[in-house]
Amino acid sequence: MQREAQLLRLLDAVIGDVFSGAGSPDGEGRRALRQQAIQAAESAREMSMTGTEEAARQLAALLEPEAVGEDWQPQLEAQVEQLQALAEQEIEMRMTAGAPPPPAGPGMPWADFVFESREHLSQIEQELLRLENSPDDSEAVHALFRSFHTIKGLAAIAGTETAREVAHHTENLLDEVRSGKRAVSSSLIDLALASADFLGEVVAAADQIDQGEAVEIPEDAGALLDSLHAAMQGPGEAASPSMPARSARTGGQPAARANSGGGGRSAVKVDTAKLDQLVDLVGELVIAQSLVQLDPALLALNDPKTAKNLNQLGRITTELQKTAMSLRVVPVGQTFRRMARVFRDLVKESNKQATLELAGEDAELDRTIVEQLADPLMHMVRNAVDHGLEKPADREKAGKPAEGKIRLAASHQSGHVVIEVSDDGRGLDQDRILRKAMERGLVKEQAQLSPSEILDLIFEPGFSTSEQVTAISGRGVGMDVVKREIEKLRGRVEVRSEPGKGTTFLLRVPLTLAIIDALVVKHRANRFILPLFTVREILKPRGQSIHTVEGRHEVALLRDRVVPVLRMETFLGENETGTARKTEDSVLVVVESGSKRVALAVDEVVGKQEVVIKSLGEWMGRVRGVAGGAILGDGSVGIILDLDGVTGREGYGVAA
Amino acid sequence: MDEIAHTMRQDLQGAGKYLAFGLGKEEFAVPVGRIREIIPWQEITPVPQAASYVLGVINLRGKVVPVMDLRLRLGMAFHEKSDRACIVVMQPDPKQSRSPIGVVVDGVSEVLQIQPAEMEETATLGGGWMHLGYVNQIAKSKGKVILLLEIDSVLAGPMEDADAVGTMELAGAGVE
Repeated sequence: MQREAQLLRLLDAVIGDVFSGAGSPDGEGRRALRQQAIQAAESAREMSMTGTEEAARQLAALLEPEAVGEDWQPQLEAQVEQLQALAEQEIEMRMTAGAPPPPAGPGMPWADFVFESREHLSQIEQELLRLENSPDDSEAVHALFRSFHTIKGLAAIAGTETAREVAHHTENLLDEVRSGKRAVSSSLIDLALASADFLGEVVAAADQIDQGEAVEIPEDAGALLDSLHAAMQGPGEAASPSMPARSARTGGQPAARANSGGGGRSAVKVDTAKLDQLVDLVGELVIAQSLVQLDPALLALNDPKTAKNLNQLGRITTELQKTAMSLRVVPVGQTFRRMARVFRDLVKESNKQATLELAGEDAELDRTIVEQLADPLMHMVRNAVDHGLEKPADREKAGKPAEGKIRLAASHQSGHVVIEVSDDGRGLDQDRILRKAMERGLVKEQAQLSPSEILDLIFEPGFSTSEQVTAISGRGVGMDVVKREIEKLRGRVEVRSEPGKGTTFLLRVPLTLAIIDALVVKHRANRFILPLFTVREILKPRGQSIHTVEGRHEVALLRDRVVPVLRMETFLGENETGTARKTEDSVLVVVESGSKRVALAVDEVVGKQEVVIKSLGEWMGRVRGVAGGAILGDGSVGIILDLDGVTGREGYGVAA
Repeated sequence: MDEIAHTMRQDLQGAGKYLAFGLGKEEFAVPVGRIREIIPWQEITPVPQAASYVLGVINLRGKVVPVMDLRLRLGMAFHEKSDRACIVVMQPDPKQSRSPIGVVVDGVSEVLQIQPAEMEETATLGGGWMHLGYVNQIAKSKGKVILLLEIDSVLAGPMEDADAVGTMELAGAGVE
């Protein structure tokens, strides 16, 4: 089974390359392409697939350095398509004639099927959405055709007949579009999306099986297959005359094309536990390296060669650490594209007109963050369509284009990624928000709030601006949940809105959950770590700025603001007698978490440092006030304090 | 061939092999299969508000590993650590899927081969440790009595032993 899959994959890459123009006589890709063609021929020969072998050899011949004719591109394209069709046919014959595909079960090479199909499925969704926006995009049609085609092959090899059939029929439909016999219609796109959904389910099930779970591969696609058959039999919906012949456009965006063909790129699946271990070990290497580099004995040698080698070691270590950290990072685009899909369905359901603009999909983030962003983002896109945008008629009345615009953009900003979700809809109604908040008792009747404070009320638990519960936004989940989810990722949410012009949400999340900028402080013999983003200021109190309330609670007066003082020993639950310093001799670190501020009295501020956050392990369970541990520069462990635990204490913290 | 493989497997799992260590006046032993490594006593970073027998955490090659004091865990008096004290890094589950835990003992003595025939149930002996399920069997080896530590009960985390604490109080003072 492996060899067939490999051959199909190879051909897939070859086709991608050919259509991206890699066969150009003056291009560098031509030689590599020829090598691949020869390789394909060899592997076809080993499997006694004579037709394929022959076609691959012809392709190789076309790619000879001296065999360049005028119309090399159409020739190559025709040849690779024929080659793929033949390979397809012969592999299918092998499958039916030879041993039947092994029964599905653990040990089956599902992993390949899952991995490859996933890439193609995500590609399919993206291309379908593109096609919907520009039905004349022949490049999208070709990419779609190839993706379904590849999945068909993968499904045949994996032995899931229904998936193969669904992919096969969808591919046929797309083939008709490709050859100009059928026009792109929204029903065609719906159908293709439905096929992709079904294949997605199959892939998800296969993935579970691959993980050793006992699930069945979905085989029930009766209704879908009926629709596909009906569509094939139905009228071609008058081919759009504008579907250009494919070879008319070469060049175009070769980079994008090469990407979609999967050519040249390869990937391995790695257990995340192994990645974590690698990162741990690299972290240790960095510590060991710095110990060596600063070793007084070595420095005393004063030997230029040793110094040079040590520097080299340092550079390599830093580079290695960067690479190791980057392994956990994925582009945010994948999640954005999922949103594009949701968006499309939402717009249909809500009878509105809107386009979705994506930007900054390349911004990279820790995998966990990207995954955990999906739900809040989905909710916000929903809100934007459902509540943000007006009905087309209302928009026109307001002098805006009937078609609304929603923007989803990511950008890097000083160690963070900022994700913007904005719409050009009606904007947030401050009066209504305030009224609602008062009704719900979230603010006092006579409260004087600034506009931004009013807008922030939408993040309060139990607040929801929609007066009707709709099928789309549903009930119960509000912006408070979004805020909580984002704060879990150590991020922040901000909202800006202008009546009649629209609303913008800004999500600011860290690049990774694994590393934080930290403030290291000392208390007695131990060092503790405070996440720097929670630190508002550090100061040495002067006698007159510390006051005692009710004889026991200390507060600090900072520029006319009263901030409660929390001594480390109180926070840590140590006994307070004996060696405790006077607050006046401590350093106050003003921290903010949630909306509370507190001045933490510590013995000493050691400095700022980037640390890798480590869990204390499931064995310890949740310890109050402790967020985790981090390995410090000298190899010892520092405890990271959980500021929610600090400011959330009864009697401490004032609204920020 | 099969026989050799079998013996090797047994060796790897350390069947019958126990690491003996001292704690106060007693000698304890645990199966070597559950021991990852033995490291010398080192500075331990205390974790505020953790359970009383949790000494803190150490850096074990880039991993943060919790360390507990076995004396305190077994309800013995705290003792300043001598030069012989060391941290035995143990595996809380036989499948090795969970992160290891450091256990501080007064000093390791030797690796023993203990046959099932040399073991004896302790149910008849009574006493606190047996009540808590920390020791179910004893072994007589070379004229010494060795308590076989029930690793699973001892390594049950602060998370899981809320029940065990309840039992301890019941067993100890007869309080409800």
